Amino acid sequence: MIEVRNLHFAYDGREVLKGIDFAMGRELVALVGPNGSGKTTFAKHLNGLLKPVKGKVLVDGMDTKEHTVAELSRVVGYVFQNPEHMFFEETVFDEVAFGPRNLGIEGEELRKRVEWALKAVNMKGYESRSPYSLSGGEKQRLAIACILAMKPKYLILDEPTTGLDARSERSVVNVLKSLREMGHGILLITHDMGLVLELAERVVLIHGGEKVFDGPVTDFFSLPLTNYGLSKPELLNLAEETGVGFVRTVEELVGALEVKLR
Amino acid sequence: MMYTFYLEKDSFLHSLDPRTKIIGSLSAMVAVLLFNHPAVMTALFLLILIAGRVLGKVEIGEQLKFLKPLLPLVILTIALWPLIYRPRTLGLLFGASFALRLLTLGLITILLLATTRQRELIRGFVKLGLPYELGLTVSIGLRYIPTLYILANNIMDAQKSRGWEVEKGNILVRLRKMSAVLIPLIVASLRTAHELSIALETRAFGASKKRTFLRDIKMRRRDYVALILILLLLGTAVYLRYSLGVGYVRIYG
Ligand SMILES: Nc1ncnc2c1ncn2[C@@H]1O[C@H](COP(=O)(O)OP(=O)(O)OP(=O)(O)O)[C@@H](O)[C@H]1O
Ligand SMILES: [Mg+2]
Repeated sequence: MIEVRNLHFAYDGREVLKGIDFAMGRELVALVGPNGSGKTTFAKHLNGLLKPVKGKVLVDGMDTKEHTVAELSRVVGYVFQNPEHMFFEETVFDEVAFGPRNLGIEGEELRKRVEWALKAVNMKGYESRSPYSLSGGEKQRLAIACILAMKPKYLILDEPTTGLDARSERSVVNVLKSLREMGHGILLITHDMGLVLELAERVVLIHGGEKVFDGPVTDFFSLPLTNYGLSKPELLNLAEETGVGFVRTVEELVGALEVKLR
Repeated sequence: MMYTFYLEKDSFLHSLDPRTKIIGSLSAMVAVLLFNHPAVMTALFLLILIAGRVLGKVEIGEQLKFLKPLLPLVILTIALWPLIYRPRTLGLLFGASFALRLLTLGLITILLLATTRQRELIRGFVKLGLPYELGLTVSIGLRYIPTLYILANNIMDAQKSRGWEVEKGNILVRLRKMSAVLIPLIVASLRTAHELSIALETRAFGASKKRTFLRDIKMRRRDYVALILILLLLGTAVYLRYSLGVGYVRIYG
């Protein structure tokens, strides 16, 4: 369980988070909000990179103020927005092994973990490639594998599909789905409402450093989203126009329409 | 966020011609390099800090904040000297004085940048006889220091999230560990540099040899007065150091 109580944070005296309460378990929560609303700042509190000015962050009962980021990284994995900011090893294998090694894992166990993590992101066989030689989607999946190999219970992903083409995006989305099936708690920061619709179980909306919505996806999409600089996916508009109601995928819409037309 | 050093203020230093400030900064740097006695270094550092506050209206806290990125180097300097130099107490003293020298040089650069707009700085370099390309390169380089600092912090955060800790291990281990930050930093900087060069070329940089400037700079009376004062101070420093032998301790032999 990740628990956030009355979280306040300021950069150089300018308040960016204004008292946020939040809790999540093993579920997929989408964190949305316009640029500069404080999503990244909020997420950096969950693994202790930032410490609250006021309020508390508890990760499985551990107060982030009393633990180092390294200690917390065993429980909360944070996949940074730009994967290249973390690559420095010569091979994919060593890159993935870096995190577990920092946790003191060696030998057979290390090899197993790297193998497992690469398999989880569909990158078996890439072990001896150079991380810099990969495509955008592969880099993003490698970044996820690097964190996954540390076996955290929770994963935070900051805009993991931004800048990817459709196929690479699919490959990342599939990884997210299988991680969810494996029982990870996932906090997904994204601007892509289609992705929210497809993946999220719950949505948290931050606006101007305040949490303005926290609830199931269905309720989220009935908010006046344009007020927050967001827009509804076309799929939902179409479903509403045709009187189907709420659907998550094209297949669902088609199915519902077929039933209706019969 | 700190993206540039320049602070919009209405101060004496802001009103000076960039050339005066460039010459002043260089003179101050020479003065700093003349001495190595810890007491003199401390005095110079404080003097410049106060000058920045009084003449440039840059708050002391702001100046110190800009110096924060130098902290790792400062600590390294203070830690390494006593290891190399005997007797150790003297080594520590020299370490401290070199660290102060580093901080003072940093402070001078920061004050120049905090009180001078980038385009005025380029203009100043060019009027002092530097080729435009070089003037641009120098000032872009200076301009990117804060950006690099933010980038380095971001990379460090990313690596910390992978269980990376600088605090662990002896100095050699720590230096090796720095590669986890230095390599992504270098890669990202090279990328930025490459993108910048493309951006410059798409705007036809270098197409015309003769450049004109929208805003010209002009030396005024206060600039000449300031220059005279700067040269007098520098002369005094040289006199103190070489004729009176003040403020310098022999380190080697
Ligand atoms: N290191 C920093 N120093 C000072 N201010 C910062 C820093 N990082 C972010 N900010 C400011 O804090 C506010 C929130 O930024 P944050 O990055 O958390 O927003 P975000 O919701 O992640 O935005 P985006 O969707 O663009 O990623 C912004 O106004 C930003 O300018
Ligand atoms: Mg962000």
